[in-house]
Amino acid sequence: MGKVNVATGHLQGCFGCHVAILDLHEDLIGLLESIEILRSPINDVKEIPEVQLGILDGSVTNTENRETAKKFREKADKILAFGTCACFGGIHGLRNLHPLNDVLKRAYTDTESTLDGKIPASKDIPEMLPHVHSLNQTIKVDYYLPGCPPTPTMIKKALTDILNNREPEIPTKNLCHECVREHHEMYIPKREFITENVTTLMELENIDPKKCFLEQGILCMGPATREGCDSRCVKGNTPCRGCMGPTPDALEQGAKMINALANILPAGGLMFMEDVVGVGYRYALPVSIYPHVKEKKTL
Amino acid sequence: MNIGLFISESEKAISNIIDLQSLASDYKNLASVKIFNNLCSSTSIRAVQEEIKTKKLKGLVLAGESPLYYKKIRNGDLLLKTIHEAGINSNMVSFVNLKEQVAMPHRSDPSGATKKAKVLLDVGIEKLRFTHDVDTIGVTPKKSVAIIGTTIGGLFAANRLLERGYKVHFIDNVSLRDLGDYKTQAMPTLAYIKNHPEVTFHTETPTEIYGYAGNFRISLGDYSLRAGALIVAIENDLTYTEALYPLIRIERDDSGFFKPLISDTSTVETSNQGIFVIPYVKDTPLSYIIALSDSASTLADSLLSKKEIEHELFVSEVDEEVCGGCGTCIKTCIFHAAELDPIKKLSSTNIKRCVGCGNCVSACPTGARDQISAPTKYLISAIKILAQYQPSNNIKILYLACEGCGYPSLDYAGKMGVEYPTSVLPLSVRCAGRIDTQLILEAFREGFQGVVICKCKDDHCLNIVGNIDLDRRANLFRAVLKSRGITPERLRIFGVSECEGGSCVGSAVEFLDYLRNIGGKA
Ligand code: SF4
Ligand code: SF4
Ligand code: SF4
Repeated sequence: MGKVNVATGHLQGCFGCHVAILDLHEDLIGLLESIEILRSPINDVKEIPEVQLGILDGSVTNTENRETAKKFREKADKILAFGTCACFGGIHGLRNLHPLNDVLKRAYTDTESTLDGKIPASKDIPEMLPHVHSLNQTIKVDYYLPGCPPTPTMIKKALTDILNNREPEIPTKNLCHECVREHHEMYIPKREFITENVTTLMELENIDPKKCFLEQGILCMGPATREGCDSRCVKGNTPCRGCMGPTPDALEQGAKMINALANILPAGGLMFMEDVVGVGYRYALPVSIYPHVKEKKTL
Repeated sequence: MNIGLFISESEKAISNIIDLQSLASDYKNLASVKIFNNLCSSTSIRAVQEEIKTKKLKGLVLAGESPLYYKKIRNGDLLLKTIHEAGINSNMVSFVNLKEQVAMPHRSDPSGATKKAKVLLDVGIEKLRFTHDVDTIGVTPKKSVAIIGTTIGGLFAANRLLERGYKVHFIDNVSLRDLGDYKTQAMPTLAYIKNHPEVTFHTETPTEIYGYAGNFRISLGDYSLRAGALIVAIENDLTYTEALYPLIRIERDDSGFFKPLISDTSTVETSNQGIFVIPYVKDTPLSYIIALSDSASTLADSLLSKKEIEHELFVSEVDEEVCGGCGTCIKTCIFHAAELDPIKKLSSTNIKRCVGCGNCVSACPTGARDQISAPTKYLISAIKILAQYQPSNNIKILYLACEGCGYPSLDYAGKMGVEYPTSVLPLSVRCAGRIDTQLILEAFREGFQGVVICKCKDDHCLNIVGNIDLDRRANLFRAVLKSRGITPERLRIFGVSECEGGSCVGSAVEFLDYLRNIGGKA
C-alpha cells in the first residue's frame, strides 16, 4: 500500500496545533512511514497539491482563510478540522461579541499606546470577515479533532483511524468522567450551594490538589466540556477552561454551564456575570446558538 | 409513522373563528385528518377508535380544546383512554389548544387566528417526531390506606375502609383531634376504630412520601410505612398543610388549604393519582363530611381492588454515552430521584421518585439528561416553527408557559374573554425549572423580539423548587443576553397563579408595546 498523501494548512490561530504535531516526537517517524506530507506551512509550499487528506487548523476570520479553506476542499478527498479553533472557532471567536469596526478601532487606533493609528486598508492584505467562523461554517468537514491543542496521543490515534478509513472516534462524555479528583458533595441532593466561600483563580496555592474544583468553589468548566484531553489542566491543579468544547448532546457549552452552575455555586454565577462569555464561551462562541453580537438596526 | 390529526370544532366555538377546512387541507400528507363537531361525544369517541385501528395510527394530534379540558371532564378522560387502548401510547398524543389559546382570545382576528393555528399544529406534529413511547410499570396495590388527619372526615373514611378489609394507618400530630360539635355522633365510630386490630396510629410528622398509587412509601422519622392510597383530611390546619405540601403536592385553594382538582364534579380526587382529599369547607353539616369521606373511601377501594395499577413513567432519562457522572443532576433534584449508579459511576433515574419535572434536564451540563414528555430537540424545533409566524408589525414574543400555572392561566384568560394579539406565541413546558438558557437563546436567534416565562408564583410550584431554580438561572440568562447586545429587558418572567390569566396577558400586551417602542434597538 502506498503512502497517504497529506497537506496541512493553517488558518487563523496560534499555530500551536501544528507544533503539537511535532510533539509526536519519535511517533512522527513511525507515522511518516504511512503518510507523505506534501505540503505544510513548515515546508512552505505555496500551491496546494491534490491529496487524500487535508488537515486544517485555525478558524476562518478573513478572506484569505476562507480562500485557503475552499482550495483545500477542492484538492483534498477528506478534510480534518484539526484543533479547537477549526472545530469551534476557538478563543479569537470572542471577537464576535463586538462589531468588526469596534474591533478594528480598538486594535489600530484606540489602544492606549497608539498615536495616530490608522486602520490598515490595502488591497494587498486580506479583508477581515464580520464574524469569526469555525471551519464547518465555511466548507464541508469530514473529521473533527478538538483540543487546544490536541494531545499527541489524540493526534496519533486520530491519524491512525483516518489512515484505516475510520472516522476518528472522539469521546462523548464530560471531563468529570476522566477527572480523578474526589467528588462528594455533588452527589448529595441539597438546596444549598456547594460552598459560600469562593476562591478566586489567583490563589492557586490554596487549592486542594485532590478535591474537585467546583466543590472548593472554583469554577471548573469540566462538567460542560468533552473529555479526552487527559485532563491536563486539572492534573496541573488548574480548573478546566473548556477547550474541548461541548459534549454531543449539548447544543452549546456556555448555556449548559450556566444552567448547571446556577444550582452549584452562588459565586460560580457571579463570576460568570462579570465575564459571562469569557468563561462559558471561551472556545466555542462561533458555534453557539447566538454566535455574535446582535446587529443593531433601527426599525 | 402513521400520524392522525383530529380536530374539534368545539360546537362551532373554534370553527366560527378559525378556518378549519382550509387548515385541514394543509395536512393531506398525514395518514388521517378528521374534523369533529365535538371530540368528546360518544359518537366521536367511537369514530376515533375506528379510525385509529383502520389507519393503524401510532401518533395523534388532538387539536381543539385545551389539554386540561380533556383531562378534567369524564368524557375527555374516556376519549384519552380509548385512544390509548386503540394502540397509541400516551406520549404519542400531542395537544394543540385551538380554543382557549387561539379562537377565544383572537376572535376579532380570524385570519390571524387561522395562521397562528397553523404554526401551533405544526408544533403538535413536530412533537411526535422527537418523542417515543413512554414505558409503563404495573404496581400490585397494597391493601392499606394512610389517612392523614384524625379528624371527623378521616375517622368516617377509616370506618368504611375497615369494613372493606383494608388496613388503616392514621398519621397526625396528635393521636386524636378535637372533634368539636360532632364528638357525640362520632363516639361509636371512634370506639370501633380504636379497638380494630387493623388500625395503627402514628404521631410522627412524615418526612418523605414517594411512590405511586397502589404503593406509597411514607417515612416517619426512623421508620416507614407502605400504603396503597392516601386520604388527606386535615381540615383547616394550615401549619400541617404547609408541612405536607412539599411531600404530596396537590392543589391548594386561595386560603392555602388542600382542595380537590375540580371542586364541583370530583369532590375528593386530586391531580396526584392515589391521593384523595377531604376538603375543608366552613360550617359544613356532618352529612356532607360523611358523604365526602364515603367518596374518598369508595374511590380508594376501587383503585386498590384492582389486580394491578398501570403507571406511565414520564421521567427523565439519561444518555449513558454522554453522562460523565458530574453529579449536577443529583445535586439538583429535590425529589432525590437522580442517583449515582455505584457501579457505572453515572447518573440514573429512580423511577419511583421521579416526577418528570425536568429540572435536572436543564441543569445537566452535557445534555445527557432529557425529558421523555418534551425532549430538548423538540422544544428547540418548536421554537423554530413558532418563529415562522409573521404578525403584521413583525413583533412577536415567545410565551413559555409552565404546566402548573402559566398554561392554565393563559387558558383562563381565553375563557374569560380577554383578547390579545396573535403575536403572543405560547409553548408549554412542564415546569419553569425546565427552562434552559439554550431555549431562550434559540428564541432570540430565530427572531423573537421578546421572551416571556410564565411560571407559578412563590410557593405554588408543583415541583416545589422549579420556579426558584428558574430565578437562580435568570440573572445568568440576562447576562448572556447582554453579552450579545440584547437588552435583558427583552426577557420577562411573570409569576402567576392559575386564575390570574387577565393580568398575565395584560403584562404580555404591555410587553409588546414596550418592544414596539424600543424597536430594533438593543
Ligand atoms: S468539575 Fe472539574 S474538578 Fe470537578 S470533577 Fe469535573 S472536571 Fe474534575
Ligand atoms: S429533577 Fe425532576 S425530572 Fe429530574 S430526576 Fe428529579 S424529579 Fe425527575
Ligand atoms: S448532570 Fe448530566 S452529565 Fe452530570 S451526572 Fe447528571 S446526567 Fe450525568
